[in-house]
Amino acid sequence: MSTRNAPIVGDSFKLGYRFQRYWDTPMANAFFFGELGAGLFFVSLLLGFVPGMAAGIVITCILKTYFHVSHMGVPTKAWRAILRPDRSWISRGLLAIIVWSTFGALHVLNLWFGLEAALGFGPIIGGLIKLIAACAALVVMTYQGFAMSHSTAISLWSSGLMPVSSLVYSLTAGTMLTLVFGWNALLAGQLGLLVNAALLLLVVIAVVLLSLLHGAHHGSPGGRTSVELLLKSRYARYFLGAVWGTGLILPALLLWAGAGSYPAVIVAAIGMLSGYYAYRVLVFKAGVFEPIMSFRP
Amino acid sequence: MARYGMVFDLRRCIGCNACVVGCKQENTLPDGVFFTRTLSEEYGVFPAVNRVYIPTLCNHCEDAPCEKVCPSGATYTREDGIVMVDADKCIGCGSCAVACPYDQRTELSKDLFTQGLFGEGELTPFEEQGYSRFTPGMVTKCDFCSGRVDAGLDPACVVTCPTDARIFGDLDDPDSKASRLIRERGGRPPLPEKNTSPKVFYVD
Amino acid sequence: MSANPQSPQNSLKSGRWMRSTCKMCLHSCGTIMHVTDEGVVNKIEGDPTNPSNNGKLCPKGNSAIMRHYDPKRFKQPLKRTNPNKGPGVDPMWEPIGWEEALDLVAGELKKTIEDDPRKILPSLEDFQKMHIWNWPLAFGNRNCFQSGGTMCGGAYHPVNGIVHSAFAVANDVKHCNYWINDGTGDGFSSHLHAAAQSNWVANARIDRGMRCVTIEPRLSISAAKSEEWIPIRPATDRHFALGLCHVMVAEELCDYRFLRKDTNAPYLVGPDGYFMRNADGKIYVWDSANNCAKTWDDETVGKLALEGTYQVDGKECQPAFQKFRNILDGCSPEEMEKITTVPADTVRRVAREFAAAADIGATIEIDGRTLPLRPAGYNYYRGAQGHKHGFQTNHAFKMVNFMVGNIDTPGGLMGVTLDDQWIDRSHVELGENGMMKPNPHQLGPVPPFAYPPNSYDLLEYFPIGLHPPHLNLEVFLNPEKYGVEYKPDVMVICHSNPIWALQGPREKWFEFMASMRFIVVCDIIPTETTQWADVILPAHDALESWNMTMIEPPHTEGMCMRQPATAPLYDTKSEEDIFYELSERMGILAAYNEVINMILGFHHKPELMLEPDKKYTDKEIARRRGLLWNDKDIDWYIEHGHSVTERRSDKWYRPWEGMRLHFYIEDALKERDTLKANMEAANVPFRHDWSWLDYQPLPTAILDPVHEEPPEYDLYSIFYKDIQMNFGESLSNPWIKDIVYRDPVHIALILNPKTAEAQKLVQGDIVRIDSPYGRLFGRIGTSEGMHPDTLGVSNSLSRAKTGHSKVAHAGGHYNDLLPYDLRNTDAVTGQPETVCKVKITRLDDWPEVLKNGGTVYDIVDEISEPGKGRKH
Ligand SMILES: Nc1nc2c(c(=O)[nH]1)N[C@H]1C(S)=C(S)[C@@H](COP(=O)(O)OP(=O)(O)OC[C@H]3O[C@@H](n4cnc5c(=O)[nH]c(N)nc54)[C@H](O)[C@@H]3O)O[C@H]1N2
Ligand SMILES: Nc1nc2c(c(=O)[nH]1)N[C@H]1C(S)=C(S)[C@@H](COP(=O)(O)OP(=O)(O)OC[C@H]3O[C@@H](n4cnc5c(=O)[nH]c(N)nc54)[C@H](O)[C@@H]3O)O[C@H]1N2
Ligand code: SF4
Ligand code: SF4
Ligand code: SF4
Ligand code: SF4
Ligand code: SF4
Ligand SMILES: [Mo]
Repeated sequence: MSTRNAPIVGDSFKLGYRFQRYWDTPMANAFFFGELGAGLFFVSLLLGFVPGMAAGIVITCILKTYFHVSHMGVPTKAWRAILRPDRSWISRGLLAIIVWSTFGALHVLNLWFGLEAALGFGPIIGGLIKLIAACAALVVMTYQGFAMSHSTAISLWSSGLMPVSSLVYSLTAGTMLTLVFGWNALLAGQLGLLVNAALLLLVVIAVVLLSLLHGAHHGSPGGRTSVELLLKSRYARYFLGAVWGTGLILPALLLWAGAGSYPAVIVAAIGMLSGYYAYRVLVFKAGVFEPIMSFRP
Repeated sequence: MARYGMVFDLRRCIGCNACVVGCKQENTLPDGVFFTRTLSEEYGVFPAVNRVYIPTLCNHCEDAPCEKVCPSGATYTREDGIVMVDADKCIGCGSCAVACPYDQRTELSKDLFTQGLFGEGELTPFEEQGYSRFTPGMVTKCDFCSGRVDAGLDPACVVTCPTDARIFGDLDDPDSKASRLIRERGGRPPLPEKNTSPKVFYVD
Repeated sequence: MSANPQSPQNSLKSGRWMRSTCKMCLHSCGTIMHVTDEGVVNKIEGDPTNPSNNGKLCPKGNSAIMRHYDPKRFKQPLKRTNPNKGPGVDPMWEPIGWEEALDLVAGELKKTIEDDPRKILPSLEDFQKMHIWNWPLAFGNRNCFQSGGTMCGGAYHPVNGIVHSAFAVANDVKHCNYWINDGTGDGFSSHLHAAAQSNWVANARIDRGMRCVTIEPRLSISAAKSEEWIPIRPATDRHFALGLCHVMVAEELCDYRFLRKDTNAPYLVGPDGYFMRNADGKIYVWDSANNCAKTWDDETVGKLALEGTYQVDGKECQPAFQKFRNILDGCSPEEMEKITTVPADTVRRVAREFAAAADIGATIEIDGRTLPLRPAGYNYYRGAQGHKHGFQTNHAFKMVNFMVGNIDTPGGLMGVTLDDQWIDRSHVELGENGMMKPNPHQLGPVPPFAYPPNSYDLLEYFPIGLHPPHLNLEVFLNPEKYGVEYKPDVMVICHSNPIWALQGPREKWFEFMASMRFIVVCDIIPTETTQWADVILPAHDALESWNMTMIEPPHTEGMCMRQPATAPLYDTKSEEDIFYELSERMGILAAYNEVINMILGFHHKPELMLEPDKKYTDKEIARRRGLLWNDKDIDWYIEHGHSVTERRSDKWYRPWEGMRLHFYIEDALKERDTLKANMEAANVPFRHDWSWLDYQPLPTAILDPVHEEPPEYDLYSIFYKDIQMNFGESLSNPWIKDIVYRDPVHIALILNPKTAEAQKLVQGDIVRIDSPYGRLFGRIGTSEGMHPDTLGVSNSLSRAKTGHSKVAHAGGHYNDLLPYDLRNTDAVTGQPETVCKVKITRLDDWPEVLKNGGTVYDIVDEISEPGKGRKH
């Protein structure tokens, strides 16, 4: 069945493609801030940039939690979300956030106040804390992608590249933010490394996005419908303009040509984050369910 | 233990949506909320054109993605295969809704319970007596009228269907009308490529 | 509201079930109502013990609770305080007490009756309560403002009355194998007990392989479920039927035994069109065995001639069948194709299939009787018959059935009585010359001829008619032309929404309404009509009141009881209380009781007769109707809910055995000539405008005038009911609204995509639709399931905003496009044309009045938005 004879039907009683309408902007916000915070923490951790790590934890814990709760229908029971790590990526992710924020905070405190010395545990334990925080952060950076890819309902999402896209976007956002926050604190070599890493990551994002679209387009008619929405119709303006133009091409050009200038880096970061945010919103908006089946003889 | 399922006879269904309204009154569903819908599809070119009516509801999938993603344990499967949502446990995260390939999950946003069916900010006595089944904000779906089934009754949409297009029964019982129809008229599950093992079948 | 997720589904809550009867359309499916211990009705289901609907309910029946608890219901009598009346003008209701309201209304009515009782214009349209419907007879008033009967069956019911002596018709679902549905949703979406009939028909289709063929300008539900959809140009169904008859006659596929023995087809017709009679008034037939004319009852007749030309008493005459043959000569499928667009090959094939399926000669044994078995029927209704030449059109459909001898015969087209009143009552009587007595006046006799006319809709000039309410407008606008001596200025409206239902432009009806001195409306929720009222008398709804009824059940008979599920929610009364209170105050109580005795048949069991000076409750009238049917008292009915059984075969199958049916309707000529003579004698000025040609004893291929509108009106337009809607009325119900505006058939004015292209229109275009009579606004949708000549307008697009929060403005009303004049009215029956010609103009934007939101199209847009998509 081609997309042409089964239209997008809203909530009408026609057979056709239906927009998923359950994960919307608040959820996109939560995903965005979760990945952004974790990415910032992770990159900062690699560079030992303590304010970045702290900021990452704060962003995730406050903003992600806020938007999750505002999305959630029954926030008073929000705690229940951790009950099924055996099968739910949401539970796993939440547990990872708890682990990460706890161990990340311990790590930050350790670096700031020397907990190791104060509490008398050795560098092995300190290292372990760091490792756990790092691993948990990696989970937080990717689990939302897993949460999306894990179900086959929406072809655009049900791709192994979803967690990869989460990871690279998160890393890129973390890199860009670490650049911005650490411009005056980090060493020149570190800054150069970050710029190059960011450039590389932007290219990786582009490749991942292209593969994702390619996969969805060839995956199922629903996937093709989503891709058409993103590239040709309803959302093309935002997807091409914001996700690609502002979010990938602009920062890449700025980093490539103007890497020495702080304002250029700031603008690049804003552009990248806007594109990333648009991506987060648009993958939700362009998610469609397939018609349950066609009964044309 | 029975394994409940439903068969839709597409030759019978007239797209009247009596099932939809029957379900709404049995379950006190708020405005714009459906546990079942009958969709229509028109195909062909005049004069060789026709329209088919396709009833849909939760397929009570054996391999239910909605259950797998549910972080709170609210979604669970009964022994008889009915996939349930526990109104006490659901946190309204919507994970199940995006995981269900059949778009059968529905969010009961809070304003529905204050606006009322007439949209005037006031609840009718009918709503007052019925909304207590739900936790506002939860995400839920058809439960095959589990209460009625436990009481030995057919689901509400089944009993009201003017054309008997909905056949509810035990799929493990080879002699149930549902099993027979699936066998004899080649029952097809919806979206088999999603690998959910639906317990709803279509015969045409 | 406290969350108690353990609380069970509604039907399982602690409470009790009561049996009752649905009233969400005019029919009477059995229900069971669940009432909680707290007294809330929280579930209504079909009554599985009722063999009519067999436990099923249609979507309307499923939504009765939402009507009961509708917050917009009228909660006490209301009096207008705003003297200005108009559409959308707030009447500024002032609540008043019942005493005041009844005194006020009765005072106004009494005053008018003392002046001239004809000045009262009633619109009382509760089919479940014919005793309210006929209330005006108590003061000798024969006016009629209600629309039921003509928009639907103005010619249908009289012709059914002539041919079957019954109100409606339906194919015998138990035996039919080839079911033609022409212009009706019967068995699928509307007409008789939709919930019940669609169950019976689905079982026949699937379990027995009954083949269905639907003739329709659009792909209706019936068409979609049929093996074959035959798209047809609107208002040409008679021509299609004549084409079928042509083929069956030409190919000798007819049931000649039936035609000879059971009909007047062999009766000889003289040059004047009347049957040839001898001096004793006995009708002649031709005995072809002995080559001579004999009287119809002569036992020596060898073989009745159906064909040929003969000389009798010096006059040239032909059997009625030959007369029909003569007409059919001009009705070849090729000729008819030019009118109907149905390919001649299709007509030939369907005629052959139909005749083959009828299995002429077959018999069946039912309850000890050996009966012919003719398992093929040509069923039809509103869309097919609602045309100017309705009398001939209905007759043509009957003819298709006559050809195969299936009338009232197992498998064929059955007469369906409206209400048998008591169990042994036969609806059939012997008439003259061996023929069954025709009974065209299924809702009571037409008033005697008078000029100047006594009834404002000119009913006395439609001797075979029901009532032509649209002519109220014609007469109102041209009083001199019709010589009326009075002008009605008081309206009594109950259970009717004429300002929605009647054809002709709303503006003109508004003028009509504005010319009234006093309007009282008895209804339960605000409508287009209630906003014109001076006083509202609020009635109990169907979950608060008693009733006993039987309405056109297709395959069953018996009384269906309604009982209250709850005490009245508000300060309302039953219609019985209201009309008794008014009658008493008006001094017509005795007369009213006499009317009820007659209308409900109580005079047939004297012990049930109402006493002249008493007022009776709804429960008491219900009780007596139950007793009249089967001698069971109300307690029996409270327990059983109904006394419905399958139709008794002796009353259902060929109840006229031994009589002859009216193949040839000589009465059309008799009534024409009587009317003509009366009009001549009274010098009626408009007698020359009267369409005397409409009175035909056999159907002809004359074109309906709708085909002769000016050529710029290049498309036909039709309307349709559907299973979710009772007219447009149920759109105030949130559950119905929830499903209607999600259904693609009900959200736009529908054109075939090729037509849209030719008209340079695309889906979504805002348009103005003009007919020669009126206009409406809307948005175009396209569907391959639409005849290219046709614009389809669902009843979902017909309401105006009336103060009911759930009812949205539609951009106009199909009925505005329809004519209301004599030219488009069948002079025999009063049936008006219900199809019109239109032209479409694309607009850049909505007209001002529709721009402010709240229209049907805004709801539709919100539903199709990708966002949450559920609020509306
Ligand atoms: N465009 C268009 N016009 C049509 C038709 C169509 O399909 N389309 N149909 C035509 C036909 S076939 C007919 S028969 C007529 C029907 O025309 P109407 O008889 O006027 O039909 P309804 O709109 O059903 O009006 C019934 C009224 O009864 C009220 N009512 C409901 N229940 C109760 C009750 O228990 N007590 C009282 N007192 N009132 C109650 C409702 O609120 C409503 O106002 O319309 C004709 N006109
Ligand atoms: N669900 C439901 N059932 C009802 C009612 C209701 O409002 N809703 N009303 C009751 C009443 S009062 C009546 S009168 C009956 C009417 O019951 P039906 O006879 O079924 O009435 P409609 O749906 O108005 O018309 C039937 C079909 O005729 C088609 N049609 C229109 N014009 C033409 C034409 O020129 N030729 C042909 N062949 N078809 C045409 C329409 O598309 C429509 O599908 O239903 C009764 N039962
Ligand atoms: S009630 Fe039955 S016939 Fe009507 S839409 Fe539902 S499944 Fe189809
Ligand atoms: S249909 Fe959807 S909601 Fe129902 S069990 Fe399957 S996945 Fe879950
Ligand atoms: S919305 Fe409720 S049922 Fe659905 S996944 Fe979340 S907690 Fe589970
Ligand atoms: S089985 Fe029950 S809950 Fe499910 S759709 Fe039918 S009536 Fe609704
Ligand atoms: S057909 Fe009429 S009487 Fe029967 S359930 Fe539907 S609305 Fe009620
Ligand atoms: Mo009607």
